[in-house]
Formats: sequence, structure tokens, C-alpha cells
Amino acid sequence: MPEEKRTTKEILQAKLADQERIPLYNSEALEKLREEFDQWKNTVVGKQDRENWYATPHTIIGSEIPREMLYTPLNNPGFDCMQDLGNSGQEPFTRGIHANMYRGREFTMRQLTGFGGPEDTNKRMKFMLEHGATGLNPLFDLPTIQMYDSDDPISEGQVGMSGVAIDSVEDMDLLFKDIPLDEVTVSLVTHYPSNTAILFPMYLALAERRGIPWNKLRGSVQNDITLEEVVRSGPEYIPPQDCFRIQCDNIEFIRQNVPQWNFVTYNGYNLREFGTSGITEMAAAVANAIGSIEDMIKRGHDVDWVAERVAFFWSPASDFFEEVARIRAVRRLWYRIMKYRFNAKSTRSMWMRCHVQTSGVSLMRQEPLNNIIRAAYHALASVFGGVQSLHVDSYDEAYSVPTEEAALLSLRTQQIIQAETGVTEVVDPLGGSFYVEALTNDIEGRILDEVDEIEKMGGYVAAIEKGWLHRKIADHFYREQSMVERGDIKLVGYNIYKALGGVPPIEVFQYPEGVEERQKARLAGLRKRRDNEKVGNALAALGEACKRKKNILPYTVECARVGCSEGEIFRVFKKAYGLWKPPMLW
Amino acid sequence: MEGRVKVLLSKLGLDVHNRGIITVAKALRDAGMEVIYLGNSLPEEIIKAAIQEDVDVIGVSSLGGAHLTLGSKLIEGAKREGIKDRVMFTIGGVFSSTDAEKLQQIGFDEVFEPGATREEIVSSILEFISSKAGR
Repeated sequence: MPEEKRTTKEILQAKLADQERIPLYNSEALEKLREEFDQWKNTVVGKQDRENWYATPHTIIGSEIPREMLYTPLNNPGFDCMQDLGNSGQEPFTRGIHANMYRGREFTMRQLTGFGGPEDTNKRMKFMLEHGATGLNPLFDLPTIQMYDSDDPISEGQVGMSGVAIDSVEDMDLLFKDIPLDEVTVSLVTHYPSNTAILFPMYLALAERRGIPWNKLRGSVQNDITLEEVVRSGPEYIPPQDCFRIQCDNIEFIRQNVPQWNFVTYNGYNLREFGTSGITEMAAAVANAIGSIEDMIKRGHDVDWVAERVAFFWSPASDFFEEVARIRAVRRLWYRIMKYRFNAKSTRSMWMRCHVQTSGVSLMRQEPLNNIIRAAYHALASVFGGVQSLHVDSYDEAYSVPTEEAALLSLRTQQIIQAETGVTEVVDPLGGSFYVEALTNDIEGRILDEVDEIEKMGGYVAAIEKGWLHRKIADHFYREQSMVERGDIKLVGYNIYKALGGVPPIEVFQYPEGVEERQKARLAGLRKRRDNEKVGNALAALGEACKRKKNILPYTVECARVGCSEGEIFRVFKKAYGLWKPPMLW
Repeated sequence: MEGRVKVLLSKLGLDVHNRGIITVAKALRDAGMEVIYLGNSLPEEIIKAAIQEDVDVIGVSSLGGAHLTLGSKLIEGAKREGIKDRVMFTIGGVFSSTDAEKLQQIGFDEVFEPGATREEIVSSILEFISSKAGR
């Protein structure tokens, strides 16, 4: 069968079957162990434990993978240390993408920040940098995420909430006031392909204004169709095909013009937090990555040119060992996909680089201080998994945006792991554990099975258009709610060990006042001051490019330069592409 | 109370999080209620749809911080259109305990904080409707 007709799973299976394996365990020793193990199980292990040999951890957004009571080499008899693990920084990268991992470079401490106007968030970002944060991670407010201007009637009462309000390049300038763009790494949390195509150009236009060449800029955008078309509730959606094309336009343009920038962060995080298992989280992100690399190849680009800058974003939740194993498993799977499915040559293309944010949906409103402990475990699992950068959720997020104190505590959680626990001195400390390796194998297989399901459906965009992913999510979270209410998923302070008489209230963040008025006034000033003929021309040229299916980024960059607002640019998209109605979730 | 309880559910404004409201929509439907889900809407659109559909209950969801601004507009609109006393108003989402109290003062009949169970939500609606029918 010609290679392009085979699914990724079929290609990998064929390649791996051809490999000569050298098992670490000799058969004589395994045979002896099996005898001893069987005898032990029948004599030493009690009847009840024998009957309940498998137990399944029930956790929020967990994958419900049954676990044995004890793991031995018998769980992984064909274990080939070099083929399955290698050394760190060596194929298949199970143990980490760098040989020295955190000895060489600490994980980046990148805390999400965003509320109020750009001036407010600028202040908080500087506060975090002053306290040792090593990357910036601004998050946008609801109107900005959904691509409406602060003065749009639809935005009323929501400006500056759950993120920072950005309407134009002028706001971008205020957001990064006194922050040298060529010295920091910035992860702009532009979730959707559409808002990436609008907001990142404002960042580029700002760099131009400050005389900083684009090749000095370092950071990332999210740019993921999953967030625009699946994990989102909003009034208006453009069709998935167009959204996917914009995702690829962003990838292509940024790769060509901003060489140190990570143009996509395949976002499993929000998908999983919305309600899927850790398996679907990774399968969906991997399938999306495969789809967009294929698209780039169709556009005539070299696979390594694209793949060297691909990054992923995961959600570590409460099932500790599952989280460690998942990150290791997907790192090996990604290596295999790049090597065997895409024939990548560059080592860097085979690296699954990832950022993680501890799971927010696993946190509880009841007894909020417990969340500090939960997030610390999530973070520790991520570090054991070998992630590149980290955000730790704050304990008060079931109440509002974090207070300054809570945000600092999240940063301190990372710093304590890094500086006090000693865990970063040894690479992949859980590697070789019978349990972790068996779980890693199991999870890799499960992710690949779901990738296969998506590919057989016609690929990732088809899985979205058909509502497959939407339905999977809705089924998952409804079932999960039942499990929480029945007490099958145990949550301390909520459905078990409840505090008698309650706990003292915590201090809750208060939004700054007057943000909406400030944003409206600034927009009004901009609309008066800018050259409106240039604005009209830039928007018209963008509309034309959308219709002709040209890469739209050069046009949105021009829009940003001449001072178009976000809402004005989104209106062009809507007119050119029309609107799409996502599948119902219930 | 005759016939099925009719409920209008909506995301308030531009809030992106809909896991909660969809869970509630399913739960109310499973409990035998007629559920209309409007998706993301502004207060005036919600009031208009509620009048058109002649619903018994309006449930809105807000996790993005706009519960007070948009919540007040919703209740004001309801008073203006004369449906505040006829319809039960509920809101769920992420807000501080102080804000939860404020929402009650504004005029929401029930305020659900994170952790509310489906059973609590269903039974509070049924209780409200039957107590009103008994008045």
C-alpha cells in the first residue's frame, strides 16, 4: 500500500515491527520470576487482594486506566532499554529532550497574567518578573478573546475581565511598557487561529515601532483550531476549514518572518479541562499537529523547517503517575511520528517540547487552601515528566482572578520544587520503574489508537466538523459530574472529609475600576487620530486576501500597523468566510 | 403547576466556559423539564427570548467575571418588561461569596456557586415553582 494511504498507526506499527529488539531481561530470569511471582500471588497475597488485583484511580479528567497491585518486569518482558528509552537527549527522547535537562536549563516559570486594562496587567507582569518569573504569559479578556472591541455593545460590562483588554497596537504598547521585547520571552495567549492572526501582528507592529527586528523576538502563540471551534462558547464562529487555514497561515508566516518564535502551541490543556481524558487530550493535539504539518508540506515546505518550532501544551491533573507517564509517552510517540511518519531529519523536529499548566478544573471552591497542595502535586508530576515550562494555578481561582499574594504563591511553588527538593538534579528520576514504564507503554498505545480513530474519520478538521470531539467531551464531563456526585471521584473537603463549621473566608481579587471607560476613550482617540483612508484600504486588501485564500498574515500585519482595531479585523473575517454553527453538546 | 417546567438557559455575554451550563441543561432535561439553550446572549436578548417562549425559569451562567454588571442588567430588564415576578431567575458560575450575596440582593432567586450538584439545582427549581403555584 502506498505510504500516504496508511494511517499513522499503521506506519508506526510496520516500522517498529521491523526493528530488531534486544530485550534487557534474559528469558531464564523472567521464567524464574514468573514462577516466583505466581507462587507469591497465590500464597502471600490475600484472597481479597488477589480478586481486586486491578484498581482504577477515579480522578477529575483522569483516564481511568486500571492498575495492578504490584508491577514487575513481567509487565514489560520485552523491555529494550535503548529502543524504548534511550538516554536523555537521545532518541526516542522518552527520558527528556536534553541530555542534562534541568541541570542545563531550569523549567521556565511562566505564570498567566491578565486583568483590567493593559496598564494594570503591565504592573502585575513586572511584579512577577521582579519576583523571579522567567517568562511572560499575558492572557486576554473575554471581548479580546472573542474578537470584539471594548466599545462594541456586546462587550459591555466585560472589558478587562478574566484577562487584559487589547483593542489595537496602542494597547499592546502599554501592555509591554518598560519591557524590552528583545530580552524577554513572551507567550501571548492568543487561543484561536483567528485572534492569533489579529493580535500577534499587533505585537509585530509594536516591535517595528520600537525598532526591534522581528528575528530578535522570542516567545510563542497558541493558535489552535481546537480552542476556536470546540472548546469555546461564543456568539460567532467561522467555519472549521477556514479556521484551520488561518492556523496554517499563522504557522507559515511566523516561521518565515519571526524565526525564533513558536508559531503554534497545540493545546491539549483547554480541551482536557473542558472535559476529556488525558488520552483524548493528547490524541487530539497530536492529530491536529499531524494535520497542520501535512498542510505545510502541501504548501511546499520542508518538514524540518516547520517541525523544529512545534510546541505542545498539556494539563497535568491529579492521577500522579498517569501524569508522569503521559508526558513521557507522548514525547516518545511524537518522536516516532516525526521520524517514521514524516521522515524528519533534524533532531529538534523530533522533540516534543511542552508547556504545562496545572489542572484548574481539579481545584475546588470548598476549603480553597487545599488547592495549594493539589497544584503542587500536579507541578511535581510535570517536573518528573520533564516539561519545559510551567504555570501553577492559584488556590483562589474558583473565586476569581488570583490576588497578587496567590499569584506569588504559585510562583513560589515552582521555585520550591526547583530550589529546595533536589528533584531537578537527576534526569527522568522515575525512568525504569516497572510501573511507570508499563504505564508509559499503555498510554502511548491508547493515544495512538485515538489518533487512528481520528485519521480514519478523515482527519482532525473532519472530526471537528462531524461533532465527534464535541460529543466525546460532553459525554465525558456529564459522566464525570455523576461520579463526583456519587462520591466515586473523591474530593477532600467537598465530598469526603468536609470541614465542620466551614473554613475562614479567603481574600478575593477585586477588578480595577474604570477599565471599560478608559478603553473606550482610547479607542475613540485612535479612531480620530489614525489615517482612516489607510485603515479602509488595509481592511479591504485583507478582505480580498481572505477570499482568494492567500496567506492573510501580511495583510493583518498591515492592518495592525495602520491602527485597525481587533473588532474591525474580525468583521472582515466574518464577511469573507461566513459563520458556522457548531454541533450541539447535549 | 400544570405541564412541564420550561427553562431558558444562557451563557451571559461573551463568557467562553460552557461545561457547567451544558451539564445543567442535560440534568434539567433528564428531570423532565423543557430546556431551551440560547448559547451566548446579552441580557436584553435573554429577556426577549424568555417572553417569546413564555418560560418559567431563566438560568444564566457566568464564569468570566461579568456576573454583577450583566446580572444587574438582566434583572433590570426583567423588571422593565414586567416578568421579574413571573419568572424564576437563577445564576451559576465563579464569583466571590460577597458577590454571591450581592447577586441575591439584586434579585436572583437562586445563586449557585461552584460545587452545586445537579440534584440541588433541580430541586431548588421544583421547590420554587411549586411554592409559587401554591401562593
